[in-house]
Amino acid sequence: MLQTIKPKGKTIFWYLFIPVAMFVFTVFVPLVTALVFSFFEWKGGPNKIFNGLANYIQLYNDSTFWQAFGHNIYLVVACIIGQIGIAFILVMMINSRLVKFKSIHRTFGFFPSTIAAVCIGLIWNMIYHSKYGILNWFLKLIGRADLTQPWLSNSKLVMLLVTIPLIWQYIGYYMVILISAIASISTEIFESAEIDGANGFQQAVYITMPLIKNTLLVCITLCIAGNMKAFDNIYVMTAGGPGNASMVMAMYGYQVSFGQSNMGYGSCISVAIFVLSLLVIGGSQFLINKLTAEKEA
Amino acid sequence: MEKEQSNGKGKRIVGGFFMNLILWIFSLSCIFPIVWMVYSSLKEKRQFNADIIGLPKAPTLINYQRILSNSDYHLGESMMNSVRTTLISIILILTFSFIVGYILARVQFKLNRVLYIMFLMGMLIPIHSLLVPIYIVFQRCGISNRWFTLLLPYVSFGLPMGIFLVEGYVKTIPVSLEEAAAIDGSSFSHTLWKIILPICQPILVTVGIIQIFSCWNEFSFALVLIKDVALQTVPLALTQFKGQFASDYPKQMAAMLITMSPIIVLYFAFSKQIIKGMVAGAVKG
Repeated sequence: MLQTIKPKGKTIFWYLFIPVAMFVFTVFVPLVTALVFSFFEWKGGPNKIFNGLANYIQLYNDSTFWQAFGHNIYLVVACIIGQIGIAFILVMMINSRLVKFKSIHRTFGFFPSTIAAVCIGLIWNMIYHSKYGILNWFLKLIGRADLTQPWLSNSKLVMLLVTIPLIWQYIGYYMVILISAIASISTEIFESAEIDGANGFQQAVYITMPLIKNTLLVCITLCIAGNMKAFDNIYVMTAGGPGNASMVMAMYGYQVSFGQSNMGYGSCISVAIFVLSLLVIGGSQFLINKLTAEKEA
Repeated sequence: MEKEQSNGKGKRIVGGFFMNLILWIFSLSCIFPIVWMVYSSLKEKRQFNADIIGLPKAPTLINYQRILSNSDYHLGESMMNSVRTTLISIILILTFSFIVGYILARVQFKLNRVLYIMFLMGMLIPIHSLLVPIYIVFQRCGISNRWFTLLLPYVSFGLPMGIFLVEGYVKTIPVSLEEAAAIDGSSFSHTLWKIILPICQPILVTVGIIQIFSCWNEFSFALVLIKDVALQTVPLALTQFKGQFASDYPKQMAAMLITMSPIIVLYFAFSKQIIKGMVAGAVKG
């Protein structure tokens, strides 16, 4: 197609050499290495013993790992509902003519998503703290001192409690994405719907949602990919505890590899995280495509 | 008829009031933690423990003084490390994304599609599964725990999105521009740097914005690859403080605010461009 832009092969080679080499070295070499070491018993020392599929069999029977995987799925589902759902409702409100200061809501709402997950975790640690936390202070204020407790030590509630900061952090992020998607819809559509007597709720469900379907799907994909890799918050807030009550896959892989310095099994877990994440992301894409295709047909 | 209309109007006003209320609750909840931290960091530990929510009665900068003057905390060093790592990463990501993105969009050669798919895979690969493997590889090559160590993962992980944003952008530039340049005797490199680069400026700003935040905030790879306190980045330093100042919240808050300050200033100064850039990156990427 292009006759004029045919630089010498040598020029192209030298332009591409460093970035491509760097990328292969940091992404593909570790992947292959992990795959190789996942077949070895290796405690981080000089001795490695080939043990075939033993790591994978151990993984298959490792209830902690599957519990961690379950927690990742929990995070994904909770965040899709919490982040995108709440964001959608807030966007519907923001687009109302009765709401003022739209750009302030956008600027403030987006702000938490620019802060490091570590900071968010530390901030919420302070909120949940049993003695100096805002949550317990608030409960005392409204006269329910009986409900105060060391929140993050409660193994029944801990998953919910680490999910709340995650949801809170990214509501504004999805809100802004949805606002820009809705802004591209022609206002005439809404005007004629209003004339036809559609109320706000009907407009949201029957007009807005179908028209921004693609953006919603992008949001869901971002949400799934983001939560399969949850690590920073959990590391700071609970490190997977109490017990394994808030363990997620990346945290478990870290703990096995560095806490127990079991590098062989850690590599095996890494391979499993890789495969499972791809399966969940790919599977959800497939499911969404199928569902939406059926609806249209 | 008239009655009905005024009734509907009343409903709308009430509805509008609640919508505004809910949005304000949400927006304020997003910045309240920062505000709380700012004024609480001006309290002494004893005063904070007595009253966690009230405004400081005798504001003091003692927490900031203590943190910044004590070299055992390595806060200044960590800031420098983060600034250096972020800056170099951004420069490399922008340079490489621009070169690779342009070549993939415009130059036909045998490996073009192979490289395209390779970088596309880089975007799909769950990066967190590389946490342990990268540690093993870097350890064996003797390149973990150095000042340049974090550049490798940060640049590599930032590249795919940058490349695809640039590639998509270059495709919107008419080829006739480069043809004309070539007729005028402009070499490939000259065209690349003197003609295409200025045109690509907006998309490179977008890439830069996205990457500044992700490099500055990145934690998990720093945790695994950096062991030396003198080399740690800001998020790592904060997790150290969490242990050291476990019961001294105002101090911990002061430390966090110092490390967040570049991000906060940057965000509120350029919030419009930042939000626009992040959204463009998220949706197109």
